[in-house]
Amino acid sequence: MRNRVREQRTQRGLSQAELAAALGVSRQTVISIESGRYLPSLPLAFTIARFFDLTVDKMFDPDDEEAGT
Amino acid sequence: MMSFIPPRLRKPAGIALAGAVFAAAWLVRGGPLWWVSIPAVILAAVRAVSWYRMGGEDTDEGALAGSRADERQQLVSLKSRALACNLAAVAAFIGLTIAVAVKAAWWWPFLVILAVTGFGYLLGLSSYGSGEPDADEDADAGQPARSAIQR
Repeated sequence: MRNRVREQRTQRGLSQAELAAALGVSRQTVISIESGRYLPSLPLAFTIARFFDLTVDKMFDPDDEEAGT
Repeated sequence: MMSFIPPRLRKPAGIALAGAVFAAAWLVRGGPLWWVSIPAVILAAVRAVSWYRMGGEDTDEGALAGSRADERQQLVSLKSRALACNLAAVAAFIGLTIAVAVKAAWWWPFLVILAVTGFGYLLGLSSYGSGEPDADEDADAGQPARSAIQR
């Protein structure tokens, strides 16, 4: 499942550590989500989407099965 | 239960407590090997300090040692513990099989480990499984299953 976390984060000029602090997760988890190695829980997916003022389905594309756990 | 202890101190405190209990057991046992309690306490202290130091690292292991793991890190820990339990059960089964084959008297500890891991699995299923739905919430109760097209 492809996501737009990296794209949105870089657009806003945030580091992975800054995004992690804002979301209340570890930097390693942000890295894992961006690389598609980890699919966040529904509450975390909503938190991410709301942080970037997007909907969950805009943030995470279920039709793209590129990567994921 | 341990919320009054700062998160970073929780695991080191648990390790230190376990070491102290183990050392106390050697002291209570007495005999010529009472001195084993001393290195046991020292080892527990060294291990507790090393876990405390690890708890300050910016890694998954550090987050787990410091009791500040997020959802992914907790999942990693959960999978690791499940793997450890599977390995323990397999090792216990192999040990039990060998003990039975050689007619050894030490077969029962392997059986205890197998029974505990099996009971733990069943306890987990009953504790974390969704169970039966509530009658009020089960709107389809008593209705025959229908396909999406029939609806």
